[in-house]
Amino acid sequence: MVDLKNKIRALRSSFDEGLAQAGDKDSLKELRNTYLSRKKGRITLLLKELKNVSPTERPEVGKQVNEFKNYVAQKLEEYSKTLEEPRHIKFDMDLTLPGKRRYRGAPHPILLYKKRIEQIFLLMGFSIEDGPEIETDYYNFEALNFPPHHPARDDWDTLYLSDDLLLRTHTSPVQIRVMEKKKPPIRMINPGKVYRRETPDPTHIPMFYQVEGLVVDLGITFAHLKGTLECFLKALYNEKIKIRFRPSYFPFTEPSAEVDIGCTVCRGEDRQCRVCGGSGWIEILGAGMVDPQVLKNVNIDPEKYSGFAFGMGIDRTAMFSFRIPDLRNFYENDLRFIRQFS
Amino acid sequence: MQISLNWLKEFLDIRLFPKELVEKMNSIGLLVDHWEEKDGDVVLELETYANRPDTLGHLGVARELAASLGIPLKDRKFPLVESSENISDVFDVQVLEEDLCPRYSGMIVKDIEVGPSPSWLVDRIKAMGLSPVNNVVDITNYILFSTAQPIHAFDLNKLRGNKIIVRTARNGEELKVLGGEDVVLSQSMLVIADENTPVALAGIIGGEDTAVTEETKDVFIESACFDPISIRKTWKEIGIQTDASYRFERGTDISFPPEAASMTASLLTQIGGKALKGMIDIYPRPRKMKTVILRHHRVSELLGVDVDEGFIVDFLKRMEFRLEKQREGTWRVQVPYFRVDIEREADIIEEIARFYGYDKIPSHIPVLQGINLEVNKRKEIEDKVRDLLFHEGFDEVVNYSFMDTEQEKLFKTGLDAVEIRNPVSLKASLLRTTLIGGLLGNIAWNVNRGTEGVHVFETGNVFFKKDEKYFERYTLGFATTGQLGPVFWKREPEKSDFFHLKGTCEELMRYLKFEDFSFTVEENPFFEQNYSLCLNFKGEKIGFLGGLKRSIVNTYSIQEQVWAAEINLGSLLKKQPKPFKYSPVSRYPGIIRDISFIAGRGISYQEIKDCIEKLMIPYLEDYVLYDRFWGKEMAKDKVSLSFRFIFRHPERTLLAEEADGFQEKIIKALNTEFGLNLRGGGQD
Ligand SMILES: [Zn+2]
Repeated sequence: MVDLKNKIRALRSSFDEGLAQAGDKDSLKELRNTYLSRKKGRITLLLKELKNVSPTERPEVGKQVNEFKNYVAQKLEEYSKTLEEPRHIKFDMDLTLPGKRRYRGAPHPILLYKKRIEQIFLLMGFSIEDGPEIETDYYNFEALNFPPHHPARDDWDTLYLSDDLLLRTHTSPVQIRVMEKKKPPIRMINPGKVYRRETPDPTHIPMFYQVEGLVVDLGITFAHLKGTLECFLKALYNEKIKIRFRPSYFPFTEPSAEVDIGCTVCRGEDRQCRVCGGSGWIEILGAGMVDPQVLKNVNIDPEKYSGFAFGMGIDRTAMFSFRIPDLRNFYENDLRFIRQFS
Repeated sequence: MQISLNWLKEFLDIRLFPKELVEKMNSIGLLVDHWEEKDGDVVLELETYANRPDTLGHLGVARELAASLGIPLKDRKFPLVESSENISDVFDVQVLEEDLCPRYSGMIVKDIEVGPSPSWLVDRIKAMGLSPVNNVVDITNYILFSTAQPIHAFDLNKLRGNKIIVRTARNGEELKVLGGEDVVLSQSMLVIADENTPVALAGIIGGEDTAVTEETKDVFIESACFDPISIRKTWKEIGIQTDASYRFERGTDISFPPEAASMTASLLTQIGGKALKGMIDIYPRPRKMKTVILRHHRVSELLGVDVDEGFIVDFLKRMEFRLEKQREGTWRVQVPYFRVDIEREADIIEEIARFYGYDKIPSHIPVLQGINLEVNKRKEIEDKVRDLLFHEGFDEVVNYSFMDTEQEKLFKTGLDAVEIRNPVSLKASLLRTTLIGGLLGNIAWNVNRGTEGVHVFETGNVFFKKDEKYFERYTLGFATTGQLGPVFWKREPEKSDFFHLKGTCEELMRYLKFEDFSFTVEENPFFEQNYSLCLNFKGEKIGFLGGLKRSIVNTYSIQEQVWAAEINLGSLLKKQPKPFKYSPVSRYPGIIRDISFIAGRGISYQEIKDCIEKLMIPYLEDYVLYDRFWGKEMAKDKVSLSFRFIFRHPERTLLAEEADGFQEKIIKALNTEFGLNLRGGGQD
């Protein structure tokens, strides 16, 4: 009887589907009842229908119904076992073997340090500006109040490309360029590479990074310079660092200051200290109130506006912070050195 | 310069311990680098600033300390032993260049016995780190380091015509200077001449022929003031910098030459000489003291602290400024001659701040005014580039921006290199036109030190010249060789190859949202033949990548193959990245079809890709090449390519028949265009 055979096939696929969806013991029990219940189970009903099958076909169809019944019983049995106890897999791996690592590149220590400085100033509401490394004499010197033939130029040993063009000796030209374009209030830092005509030795290199900053607004005072730089240095080092401002000279600021931090190595108690040279202080920043002539050069009225500027060498500061003895280490690019900063 | 404590005590009574003195000096801006006790003296190494030539002598330092400590300068006497002769009867000075020599004073001392200096003078000279020469020379040095006024002594009897003429040199004139060097003079140089020839380069160095020697009996003392710029130009031109020119180019006290001359004469008479009566003092246009208006309110406006009027007046007077009150809160200030640096109100406010004490000025944070918070685009791209390259396992390096001519020849960038006029060394005589030279140096350095895989990148400028103009181009360079990643026990570490390099380029362009990039095969002098690509974006070549030429790599003694790329970030900065737009995720199942083709080896992946994309198949979500092989049972000129296509409808379940249609379309197009056949099925 083809009809009954089709029925078996259909029941089988609906059982498989039911089994696949059964997720717990209760649903399994329900499935068992649906198919195997002595009274109304679907297979029980099938067996009852057998008597309507012609005697010649009955043995074969009967065999199929029985096979199906066994199949259902076996599947239900197997499945209920998997529900009862979790599968056991034997783990025999030596878990103390090294894990699989992937190499992540490391930042160059100076750029790492530069970013740290930038982050602090971003938090303090400064913008970040940049400018060219090839500069004119005007932007590098004259606009910053270095007259031609002024001996102060000797403190900035310069690499010249032509009579008028040079490799910037400080990042200050960026400040002039920004002040030419923007009106106060200005609050910016300008990090970047600078160049000096120096033969490399442990404390001198012909190229290094600087970060300078500038604030120009109504009513900016020397007290603001002090407050801002103290805040920055405490964030960069720590809350307890000793800070000293002392008079200095830069052509582009008036009054000018140099900022020292207390030597954290000897705490001022070792006259032979190699880090501070025995003075107990380490020179870290140059700063000052923007010279009125510099403001005039960019058409900002010094009677109305005032500002302060500051600058520091990133290499030198990083050298001190990481206690690296020789500036040239930074430019050897030895990966055993660089990868320590990852 | 060096400052001796004993010497300072000639000018004022200092009763401070060295450490206290150093602290005091630092607080007023006289920076002491270090100090040491030496032979019963204390010698301080003072850092001097270009604007403060007055502190290039002990007197200037003493003045600052006197004002700061509130003690008076000692009144020093310089008595003379005079002869009956008058100087004006025997000697004449003519100044032909008043602008270059605004004041010239001179005295004559006769009957000197040249010999060793007395011990007090020897001590002074030694404290300056110099060796004593003879009493006359040592006395002139003593005056210079004492007062910052350079003095020159001529052997009077070697000056021809009993006269001095201050003039510019004539073309072709020469002067044998102290030490024996012959200097060829030019018309722009100011000289001191006798009747016939130059006898000294004014303010810089004296001539050998008129120098004081053991035989000298009578001397002419020169104490003058010269134009700073002229002095500076001349010493730069001849390349001789002296203690005298160092002071003149920074500016000297124009009121002081006569006093310095008589101090010198007094000391010379102490060693047995007799001074002629009178003095020559050519000062045709006496200068007035500089005048500056100082407003009290500007002091607090600039310093952020109220400085008491009494303090300002007292202190400025102690510093030898002359004050005249114009109205309440405003003074007319006259600046002493020795302060050549002070010209404006801000300069005087700095003086007030210095002596008021920087430590007494409070610390405030300025109130933030709104500023235009522009994002720095260069920094933004730099951050992203670094982020991605770190992720791809590249270490960051920073190389000097210089290169040499050898490198220029090796890397044919097609760019005209910028030359440095005064390089530190020939190794650094040009500015780099590529980052790859530096990166190869880094690879060589690290491979030689045993690093197994080196993958490095740098962001920075390359420089070039074009039509007489100079350019800098913000560039990313990266290079890779050897094993990728750390060693792992389960299998051999993977090695870097061309596709690692290319994959990094692709990831970078996607990460920067410049997604419509493409590669074209292009020969490049950096790379082996058929081993380089050009990276294009929006019709512009913005980078190149490939396997570096063996000849280049050999120059750096590197054995392994190196792959390198350079990308022009400057030009990417000018382009607009693809704006971000969110697209909803389809909730309907996709249909995946894996299809393998047999293709001729001459057909590139790029061509197949272009062909598929040109079809604009709807609902083709993505496709990837997941296998490529040749050889084995295949014909020599064939290759097997297996693609996985994913079709998906955003709003409903895509029907199998639809996917069949798309698939057919792709197969048909690739067959018609390139003769691609299905592998293992169909016609094969
Ligand atoms: Zn120390």
